[in-house]
Amino acid sequence: MGGVSTAIDITLNSLVLGGVFLIVAIGLNIIYGLSRVMNLAHGSLYALGAYSGYTLVSTGLNFFVALLLAPLLVGVAGLLIERTVIAPMRSRSIVYTLILTYGLMFFIDGLIKYTWGNEPRFIDLPAFMRETLPILGTHYPVFRLMTLLITAVVMAGLMLFLSRTKTGMTLRASSTIPEMVSCLGVNMKYVHIGAFVLGSVLAGIAGIIAGPLTTIDPIMGHEMLISSFVVIVIGGLGSLRGAVIAALLIGAVQTLAEFFITDLAMVIVYMLMAIILAIKPRGILGEGKFE
Amino acid sequence: MMKRLIIVSLCMFLSFTMFVPQQAAAADPVKIGVIVPLTGIVAQGGLEMKMGIEMAAEEKGTLLGRPIELIVEDTQVKPPIAVTKAEKLVYKDGAVALIGVFSSGVGLALAKNIDKLNVPFLSTHVMTTAFYGLNPMVFRSGQLANDQTAVGNVKGIMARPDLKDRTYYVIVHDYAWGHDAGQRFIELAKKNGIKIYNEDFDKAPIKTKDWSSYISKIKASGVDGVYMAFITNVIPVFAKQAYDFGLQQAGVKMVSAAAPGPLELEAGGEACYGIFGASDWSWDVNTPESDKWEMAFWKKYKTIPSDAAAHSYVGAMNLFKGIEKAGSTDPKAIADALRGISYDGPYGTVRISAKDNCMRNSAVLTETMAAPDNPFGAKVVMKVLQTFPAEELGPPE
Amino acid sequence: MMIDRTSIPADTKYLTPASIAAIAVVAVALVMLPFVWDNRFYISLINEMLIFGLLAMSLDVLLGYTGLLSFMHNAYLGIGAYVVGLFLIHISPTSIWFAALVGIAATSLIALPVGWVQVRTGGLAFALLTLAFGMMFHTVVWKWYSLTGGDDGLMGVPTPEVHLFGWSLGTTGDPKVMYLTTVVVVGLCYLLTRRIIHSPFGSVLEAIRENEDRAAFVGINVRRYKLYGWMLACMLASIAGALFILYKGYIGPTTMSAFSGAGVLMMVLLGGMGTLWGPLIGAVIFIYISDYISTMTEHWEIYLGLVVILLVLFLPTGFVGIGDHLKRFLKRKG
Repeated sequence: MGGVSTAIDITLNSLVLGGVFLIVAIGLNIIYGLSRVMNLAHGSLYALGAYSGYTLVSTGLNFFVALLLAPLLVGVAGLLIERTVIAPMRSRSIVYTLILTYGLMFFIDGLIKYTWGNEPRFIDLPAFMRETLPILGTHYPVFRLMTLLITAVVMAGLMLFLSRTKTGMTLRASSTIPEMVSCLGVNMKYVHIGAFVLGSVLAGIAGIIAGPLTTIDPIMGHEMLISSFVVIVIGGLGSLRGAVIAALLIGAVQTLAEFFITDLAMVIVYMLMAIILAIKPRGILGEGKFE
Repeated sequence: MMKRLIIVSLCMFLSFTMFVPQQAAAADPVKIGVIVPLTGIVAQGGLEMKMGIEMAAEEKGTLLGRPIELIVEDTQVKPPIAVTKAEKLVYKDGAVALIGVFSSGVGLALAKNIDKLNVPFLSTHVMTTAFYGLNPMVFRSGQLANDQTAVGNVKGIMARPDLKDRTYYVIVHDYAWGHDAGQRFIELAKKNGIKIYNEDFDKAPIKTKDWSSYISKIKASGVDGVYMAFITNVIPVFAKQAYDFGLQQAGVKMVSAAAPGPLELEAGGEACYGIFGASDWSWDVNTPESDKWEMAFWKKYKTIPSDAAAHSYVGAMNLFKGIEKAGSTDPKAIADALRGISYDGPYGTVRISAKDNCMRNSAVLTETMAAPDNPFGAKVVMKVLQTFPAEELGPPE
Repeated sequence: MMIDRTSIPADTKYLTPASIAAIAVVAVALVMLPFVWDNRFYISLINEMLIFGLLAMSLDVLLGYTGLLSFMHNAYLGIGAYVVGLFLIHISPTSIWFAALVGIAATSLIALPVGWVQVRTGGLAFALLTLAFGMMFHTVVWKWYSLTGGDDGLMGVPTPEVHLFGWSLGTTGDPKVMYLTTVVVVGLCYLLTRRIIHSPFGSVLEAIRENEDRAAFVGINVRRYKLYGWMLACMLASIAGALFILYKGYIGPTTMSAFSGAGVLMMVLLGGMGTLWGPLIGAVIFIYISDYISTMTEHWEIYLGLVVILLVLFLPTGFVGIGDHLKRFLKRKG
């Protein structure tokens, strides 16, 4: 195999990895940006998305239908969580929400294990997605390319929603000047609910696309939670563009490090995080720029 | 500040009532501590080990005329937690022996504390060679050790023309067992003239979920063989992702240092065909004892019988036999009785060597492929290609 | 701001006779315990509670008094434990007190530059930096196989004799000896920290927690005092680390993971922050609950999660606040 095909492999790998990081991280960021809740159970919602997708597909549903339904189910779970345990915490310090969602993480992980068991699961893909596509000398799995496409569609949709629709604009405004928005007659309660549900849906989307990409197991969310934390911290808390840059950066750094220096890959990622934060303590694009 | 005094005394009172030791039951059972991971990455393996041990206890019924009571604790595959649980089992519950343990790190941490705990500890799933003659109270009867699988795998590769003239890319999980397994294989392979691509082998973090970087690396290296030392549950995950990239379809063969679990193989399906590896047992072993055992297991749990369940069953039987032979629950007496004991089970005679406290038994080389009709409804079988007698696998006594 | 004022109960500066009596009763009971009831499991469990209690207390210095949140305070317990363990293995297998001093010094040396970077920020950024550095230490320990033993942890730590006030108590391999050592060390740390916190220095820290800008206006060098608070917390954590390695004879990277770090944070909140003794109680509750539930069922995660959620929802000021709750409840009734 030549150098070009390996380079293409690495590039695509890093984009796929960065793409999944991005969808998870942006969900986390939307929740934080709009309602100042740092949801440690976000990784568990991601796992829930993957398992819902698995169950839907194994009942014979088409993968693409599952791709639409599973995130909605996670969204409903998000709605329930927001109403029952997150909303009462609204007036309290962020420290308490952190601990509460930490408990929630255990709870959801435990329920997932109780329902689906321990063994890894794989989502059955439609035949054409299981092929590989020849690109300049390398063979790249079709569904990994599909993942890139899905990531792009989701991100484009999200950007359009936030910049072109009235609801999106209200959301953006309420992240910067919540008092003003609430004076304009918008009930902040619905903004908070909307943010949490939207974030959960995004976690669900990431879950179902990560399902066939890696593997589904009850603790799949743990690593993802930490990686997406790294992403939003580097990009700047609540900053959507920062998350895009950081996700692609981390995806690339991790893939390259795994390829070339294997053993120290994760040390490099965390070192990079520490260095960036030492120079720019509020992340690349600064805190709270919700755009 | 009366309030605080009240709170403090209340707290003390509560803590003492919580800590009241439990009264021993009338028909004093023989208590055995089962230490297995039930959460975390190897939870499925732990569950299968627990099933095997429970099945053995149920079949055995009584020990020294007393009922057997198994007390199961979850290690979460974390050594400090395993040590705490072992202390709980011995000091609080009064367990007379400890059995189980998945992962060499956990096994070594427990072995380190065994003099303090003062009970025999029989591991059924620790593969590190550090266990040979480690401590008079520490035993192994279960999963083959790293040196034994390396011997089996190298012999298997040498015996098979479709495996022999290949160059192997070695990739392991980054912890004691993985390092040990990689080194043992490479050493032995080089002696036998098997080509190794990377003597300074890849060590991937245990938490790795996306293997694409490693697979791209293997693709770029142009090898036609992969030797992998992964935690059992991860083997099919890696195989599945490699299959997505077309690695197996391009003719790359995989040899594994540990036996994959059948449930994981089922999940991986077609992608998991063509994985070679030496292990104690597979349900494809066709002896009357083996067939009888696997049907009993299937009837009881409705789960495809796995190597982990089988060798944990045998390990438990060896431990029970040792306790019977000792005639008491005295730790030293049990340990003495265990040395040299043997049990005839689903995969022949499994004997704990008197020299180094670790078991010797015959093993099989298997290849995963599409399963023929079978009572378990399994779609993938670990087909037995070859059997190694115990003396061939060593180590010499 | 990170902390709401309402969550910190009022604390008195001076020990009242009642609280002195309470501390004495607890201390005597703890010291007497192994002589009246020699169950090694509970002795070990209480030992663990005390060690993590000390760690939680050190986090309280940071969170409850300085208003800074650390996600991974356990990293500094880990560093302390590794240094002490390595010192005992490679340099001197007998001198535990000297080893502990080396542990504190080495942890301080590592914590100082980290703290210097961290205090340049504030609020959530500080907290997230603790996560970044913590994860880095965790990964380094886990990857530096030749020194730390990687994922298998540091093993073969010797069990030296413990000399306390001139007597030899026995070796650290004896749970009773380690237990008594822990009780004495944790007790001393509590009294010492309490003294520091109620000195003018402590008042400065609290002033920073209450209002950073106002503290700066009256001429307090906010960053420097934050750094002092950070260093104090890290030193205390490293003492907990020294006790941990002597008691377990083992330390592995899982003790330094982000998930364990969140556990320590939970101990502080369960007990009640800003009180020092609250987090000690929090550690007792947390360790007992997790041990108890995980023995009961293999699905312990569900129950542990539920307990945490309910506690945070219905007992916001932690265990320390129970008294106030009761009072309010009784008032409403009466």
